[in-house]
Amino acid sequence: MTWSKDAAEALADAGVDLIAYLPDSKMDALIDEVVDDSRFETVLVSREEEAIGVLVGAWVGGDRGALLCQSSGLANTFNAIGSLSVPARVPFLGAVTRRGNLGEFNIAQVPAGYNMDKLLDDVGVRNSVVTDSEDLRETVALAGETAFSTQSPYVVLLEQTVTGRKSEATE
Amino acid sequence: MTDARADQYACTESVLDITPDAAVVSNLGVASYVLASVSDSERARNFYQWGSMGVTTAVGLGLAISTDEPVTVLDGDGSLLMSLGTLTTVARYDPDNLTVVVWANDVYGTTGGQSLQASQTDFAGIAENSGLDAVTVRNTEAFADAYRDATESASVTVIVCHVDPVDPDARPPFDFPYIARRARDSLSTDTM
Ligand SMILES: Cc1ncc(C[n+]2csc(CCOP(=O)(O)OP(=O)(O)O)c2C)c(N)n1
Ligand SMILES: [Mg+2]
Repeated sequence: MTWSKDAAEALADAGVDLIAYLPDSKMDALIDEVVDDSRFETVLVSREEEAIGVLVGAWVGGDRGALLCQSSGLANTFNAIGSLSVPARVPFLGAVTRRGNLGEFNIAQVPAGYNMDKLLDDVGVRNSVVTDSEDLRETVALAGETAFSTQSPYVVLLEQTVTGRKSEATE
Repeated sequence: MTDARADQYACTESVLDITPDAAVVSNLGVASYVLASVSDSERARNFYQWGSMGVTTAVGLGLAISTDEPVTVLDGDGSLLMSLGTLTTVARYDPDNLTVVVWANDVYGTTGGQSLQASQTDFAGIAENSGLDAVTVRNTEAFADAYRDATESASVTVIVCHVDPVDPDARPPFDFPYIARRARDSLSTDTM
């Protein structure tokens, strides 16, 4: 199976009903999977911070939500996470393509992307990094399980070793 | 007569009178304080926000997608100005159970009444140009009529209600997880 099929199955395993997303070239494969999958309701947002609002609303309405975006997009969500998801104890499952680490060519992706695990720790959101696609399905499913049972957000950061690497640096 | 303004307390009471079962998502600060002033303290379906300025309408969108119950957002003009792209997102999904009210007091009321300096901005025009139905009202009766129509409409209506700034004493519960859990319990069947 491709990483994106594994990830879609893991989101379903975690009981996710609603997925809020904003595109990224790597995330595109997973977005294509979930948008066409009748197990999920999907919401394209115009800014990732909105997605946090949508997922919080969905939880209050009885649904389980997931966020798909790039690490720079996750940086856009920090006030919403810090002043809504975490203090109101509303969970979501994040699957985020992490830029800024091995193979990164774009310096603008480095400060927030490379440090995203530490930024999440500081705002009080548990997280794991997946570097090997073998581990993807189990990690995402377990992340969902702990997010929804402890009622706190959990983010899985997907490295370029899982999602594939951009080749701009050598072109 | 264009500087006539509605009373935010009376308008918020109309919301509860016209849609007693609605889940109400209220913007941080004054919108929540007014809602707390006019609501029974036991009203479980008030989802008061304590933070996340700019995200209030998005919360209402997610809730409206996930429940069949009516959902009303009480946003602030400063909060909406922070996140105008959300109107495009709302128009894209256009849930038939969602109504968005914007309290246009022209100020950041909660933080001391500093001007928005946005008198040239037409919020209803922006909502319309984002693909939504929108109406501007300036008195309490016009608000009640517009709100009744909006809740009966199959598409989302944004009601921009010009109000005088107010400074309520009432506060929602400080226990934020309780607010969220109580709203969820009153709305959802999946209580896990
Ligand atoms: C992201 C963010 N920026 C600024 C603040 C400080 N703040 C809290 S309430 C508020 C004013 C909100 O204005 P508006 O949405 O118009 O609501 P009003 O207070 O006028 O009812 C501000 C600026 C904040 N809490 N969060
Ligand atoms: Mg205001």
